[in-house]
Amino acid sequence: MKRIGIVGTGTMGQWHAKRWKQLPVDLVGYYDLSPEATDNAVGQFGGSAFASLEALLSEVDVLDVCTPTPDHKVPVLMAASAGKDIVCEKPLARHLHDAVEIVAACKAAGVRLFVAQVVRFFRQFAQAKAVIDSGEIGRPGLLRSARGGSAPAAGRSWFAEFEKSGGAVMDLGVHDIDFARWCLGDVERVFARGLTFTGLRPDDHALVVLRFKNGAIGHIEASWAYPPGEFRTAFEIVGDRGIIEFDSGAPAPLSIRLRSTDTPHESSVAQILSPAAPWDDPYYLELEHFLSRLETGDRVLVSPRDGLEAVRIALAAIESMRTGKPIRLDGFSPTPA
Amino acid sequence: MTTRLGILSFAHMHAFSYATCLKSLPGVELVGIADDDPSRAQKMAREFETSFFGSAEALLDEGLDGVIVCAENAKHRSLVELAAPRTAHILCEKPIATTIKGAQAMIDVCAAHGAKLQIAFPVRFAPPVQQLKQTLDGGALGRIYCVKTTNRGLLPGDWFTDSALAGGGAVMDHTVHVIDLLRWFWATEVTEVYAEIGYDLLHPGLGIDDAGLLSFTLATGVYGTLDTSWSRPESYPTWGDVKIEVVGEGGTARLDAFNQTISVASDETGRTRLIGWGSDMDLGLIRDFLEMIATGRDPSITGYDGLKALEVALGAYLSAGRGQPVPLPLEDEG
Repeated sequence: MKRIGIVGTGTMGQWHAKRWKQLPVDLVGYYDLSPEATDNAVGQFGGSAFASLEALLSEVDVLDVCTPTPDHKVPVLMAASAGKDIVCEKPLARHLHDAVEIVAACKAAGVRLFVAQVVRFFRQFAQAKAVIDSGEIGRPGLLRSARGGSAPAAGRSWFAEFEKSGGAVMDLGVHDIDFARWCLGDVERVFARGLTFTGLRPDDHALVVLRFKNGAIGHIEASWAYPPGEFRTAFEIVGDRGIIEFDSGAPAPLSIRLRSTDTPHESSVAQILSPAAPWDDPYYLELEHFLSRLETGDRVLVSPRDGLEAVRIALAAIESMRTGKPIRLDGFSPTPA
Repeated sequence: MTTRLGILSFAHMHAFSYATCLKSLPGVELVGIADDDPSRAQKMAREFETSFFGSAEALLDEGLDGVIVCAENAKHRSLVELAAPRTAHILCEKPIATTIKGAQAMIDVCAAHGAKLQIAFPVRFAPPVQQLKQTLDGGALGRIYCVKTTNRGLLPGDWFTDSALAGGGAVMDHTVHVIDLLRWFWATEVTEVYAEIGYDLLHPGLGIDDAGLLSFTLATGVYGTLDTSWSRPESYPTWGDVKIEVVGEGGTARLDAFNQTISVASDETGRTRLIGWGSDMDLGLIRDFLEMIATGRDPSITGYDGLKALEVALGAYLSAGRGQPVPLPLEDEG
């Protein structure tokens, strides 16, 4: 049974721990800069708190890196040099040189690196990819995708600090960038406009236009500028023989509207629900996928290069917003931020 | 330890889905398929890399942990009567039978041999339906006034339109799913049913009922309607629906159970269709059946549940014949 350790026990660390508990693995324990955070994880999911990353690494086969984006590199490099296989949260890194270094170090050490681009494991996205592969819409030429919610809380969340998270394009847009690359291949150039350099943070928003190397074009919206209470995803993929559409805001399988308790004759509250069975949970599926590929030695669905390219394209979109110019991906090296 | 299962008949297309579920789960062996249509069974045995058996008895003699019965409705009884002495767990496709007498005989033979009989009502395992059940159990809707429901579909064709094998048309095919859900939601029974039934109404020359509107009351006092029609044309973007709208003093709940879809329009096929991405309810049903075998607990959906849902369909036909509402339970079968 594989022994798993998690570094970083914030939201994603706990999210992953819950799924590891459902898999046939030994969740050995956690390391986090905050002892309260590790204690919380131990209380919820079992395993032990470790006083150092070295101590955790010495007792695991796989390190699951769930630290904030700019803090992926150090634990990944330590795990690689210790010969451990690695799951790394998306985006792979905040900066391109870090992403390059991570991929190179894992390759040199001969360890597996799985970038947790979880959107590939959402059933609606996976089915869209299968429809494209079936030829039912012909040759795909245009992809539109949107993902958004409200801004992270300033001062309380590292996501609100652009220097750490890279803003909406890097944190949310990287999902759709990876999905678009999965469907349409590598990107030629990027043009983007958005709020990122307008000083409105933590509200952030971007509209990214892509040209793919195969001639296809793409449009991605990444938003931390919607009002609170709704997180929305949508996509449209148009080919020369058809179209695929999905919108999480379209009528859901279950909507409930309850009279408010205070003013039952004047107002009500709506709830829109779209539940799934536990075994279809995409976070469970991505970790199960990596675990099974570790055992068989087969390739994983997200390669290290996929993780790296998604970061490169997100950084190019940020560079385009900063300069007002389209950015060609070939030879692109971002302005160090 | 491996759980060894067999499938008796692929007459109902759900067998294909159940077999796919069995093949996807670890620790489960599909030992074989028996069918009174040997060419169909041989084809399916190849498809699912399992063995074909020339008779149900031969398959049952393999010492199975359980069987899934997917024969035509009218043949459920004889297969369950064969299986009950030979295997401990039986999952039977809906409707349980075509007559109350047949359904009761199936329940009795299973009881006599200590075999556990589960009826296949997979919609209970659709996550949106389970979420609605939770909401209702939580009481947020307060006193329930009424429930408006539909279970519509494409014309299935084949034996589904042969009354000798199916026991009826659209009303027999589509009454039982939703009635089972309502009985489950509120632990109640239908006390009266009225029905307007259309024969050859949407499909001229079909020779059987193809549309039905049922109006009913539940023992809880809730009134409701159910549309059972084969009313989706071939060009429709999806096969059909299960919709349930509940109105209560605390609010409303609207369920469109399979409305988790992506839309695909294709000039290759000349049509627009919806592809469901929601969790596979058949997999939920099969996992539940396997859990019953593994743990020894009672079936989550019993033969009695199957009988009471069937009774509403039979009551609907009686009502349509008389032009009057029919009280349930039925005093004797018409």
